[in-house]
Amino acid sequence: MADATPIVEMRNIKKSFGAVQALRGVDLVLHHHEVLGLVGDNAAGKSTLMKVLSGAYIPDEGEIFIEGKKAHITEPMDARQLGIEMVYQDFALAKDLDVAANVFLGREAVRAQLGPIRLMDKRRMEQETRRLLDRLKIDISSVSLKVESLSGGQRQSVAIGRATAFNAKVTIMDEPTAALSVAAIGKVLDLVRELKAQGCSIIVISHRLEDIYQVSDRMIVLRHGHKVCDCPVAGDIHEFRERVVAYIVGARDDFSKQIID
Amino acid sequence: MSEMTKVDTKEHVTDLPAGLGRLGRAIDRFAALTAVIILFVFFSFAANNFFTVRSVLSLALQTSTVTIMGIGVTFTILTGGIDLSIGSIVALSGTIAVNAALFGVPIWLSWIVGVIVGVVCGLANGLMITRMRLPPFVATLGTQFVARGVALTITNAYAQPAPEAFGSLGNENLLAMGPQFPGISWAVLIMIAVALFCHFFLNETLMGRYTYAVGSNEEAARLAGIRVNQVKLVSYVISGMLSGIVGVILASRMVTSQPNSAIGYEMNAIASAVIGGASLMGGVGTVGGTVIGSFVIGILTVGMTMAGANYFMQTVVIGLVVIGAVYVDRLRYRKSLA
Repeated sequence: MADATPIVEMRNIKKSFGAVQALRGVDLVLHHHEVLGLVGDNAAGKSTLMKVLSGAYIPDEGEIFIEGKKAHITEPMDARQLGIEMVYQDFALAKDLDVAANVFLGREAVRAQLGPIRLMDKRRMEQETRRLLDRLKIDISSVSLKVESLSGGQRQSVAIGRATAFNAKVTIMDEPTAALSVAAIGKVLDLVRELKAQGCSIIVISHRLEDIYQVSDRMIVLRHGHKVCDCPVAGDIHEFRERVVAYIVGARDDFSKQIID
Repeated sequence: MSEMTKVDTKEHVTDLPAGLGRLGRAIDRFAALTAVIILFVFFSFAANNFFTVRSVLSLALQTSTVTIMGIGVTFTILTGGIDLSIGSIVALSGTIAVNAALFGVPIWLSWIVGVIVGVVCGLANGLMITRMRLPPFVATLGTQFVARGVALTITNAYAQPAPEAFGSLGNENLLAMGPQFPGISWAVLIMIAVALFCHFFLNETLMGRYTYAVGSNEEAARLAGIRVNQVKLVSYVISGMLSGIVGVILASRMVTSQPNSAIGYEMNAIASAVIGGASLMGGVGTVGGTVIGSFVIGILTVGMTMAGANYFMQTVVIGLVVIGAVYVDRLRYRKSLA
């Protein structure tokens, strides 16, 4: 099912924080059913670029097209309505709320509306959360456990489950395997493959090149707010690792003309 | 899966096991309720006439005002804020309600005017916090001075007598049946209605859930698409509105405007919420807990008075109870502070 129009296209995205230019004109394309790895050193602009796509930051310049249509994303709700979901590095869960409440946070099932007051359908949210956890084989005994009582791996599972629960077209994962145990990392990568098989398009930010190598079809390397590499993930892992590191540290650059500008 | 769980447990050796955490919370909850019962039994023996219908009704009446304010301040505490202005809002809304009645506005309308004054003050707090980005402590501290100052200015610091009919809300009892059962006052009924509605609001509505979410993790709430500023605004408006209601009740009970009324009540209200398990870090607290906390303070005050304890010692005891309650709060949230 090849689709010529990319699901996401970002053109010439620029973003500064005071004197710091985090993004200096970055282009990004994500195709349907593709897993894109986003790599770079600290402060290379990976997270900033993804926060622009998910509506957490408003870019200073640049355009975003979703399935060929120009999108105006000025807040997280806009991105969400376009089918873009982000799993944040720090989980972005409310620790005092339970699992079901976190999965449905911001889009609660409504059972009745009395004027401006909307009543939650708690039972439905609990049932659907249970079904979601079972489908993704996430091991959490009860959906009414508070998130603060879960382990790191369980929290990450809740965060990913939450992002994918509502048939997102694009799921962005910011360092999904950071701070996780080896076994939990395996689970998360399995989950990424499973989501791709189910037709999701995914962008994965990661420091762990092994993760990118294992799940990505293509990768983009950022350095100092510029794109320095955009190529398929292929070949032997050692060769891959060497090549990527060369881009990350600045020894290689496929778009060097833009840096001189 | 068991392997994953095992490894993950190692990452979080400092965490309490989930079951123990829940058990701990259950014990906390029971502890508050148990404290009320123990205090009640204790004072029933220590003070003659404590355990009578009459004194229980009197206790409910005395506690009702601080309970309603405590429920209001619980909303702001849940969002991670605080409302220090509620005592002054009580004085201002009562004062303006009395003046409206004196001006010739129908009595029922003057009561509503008082409540609206509370709403306006709460709205001002909310706008200062969300638009001007002032810390809640500072914004509501400012309002505390301004509202008190306006009340004093309007009345020139005198208590003005209100029309007699103005006092019906605070002085008439329902279901009165002779000296044994003097009836239930409107204030107590309003307290019960407010408590039930707010409990329902926090537990069943989307806005209620967002109130917890904002206090628990404001950034997560924002990223989930929740309009954080709107949620905060609503919580300060509710706090102000409930203070406005209390202002009208108190002014009606005295049948005068009292620009110096309710000084320091905000501290009793906050203490009630804290004793009831609310965390000043936000995200944790319940209406039921605050009601219990308020009654702990009420029973201590009334009970010690009836037992003949030194009045000033009551303040000492309440202070110690607050410290003890906050210490328990700290123990519970130790891991999130670490």
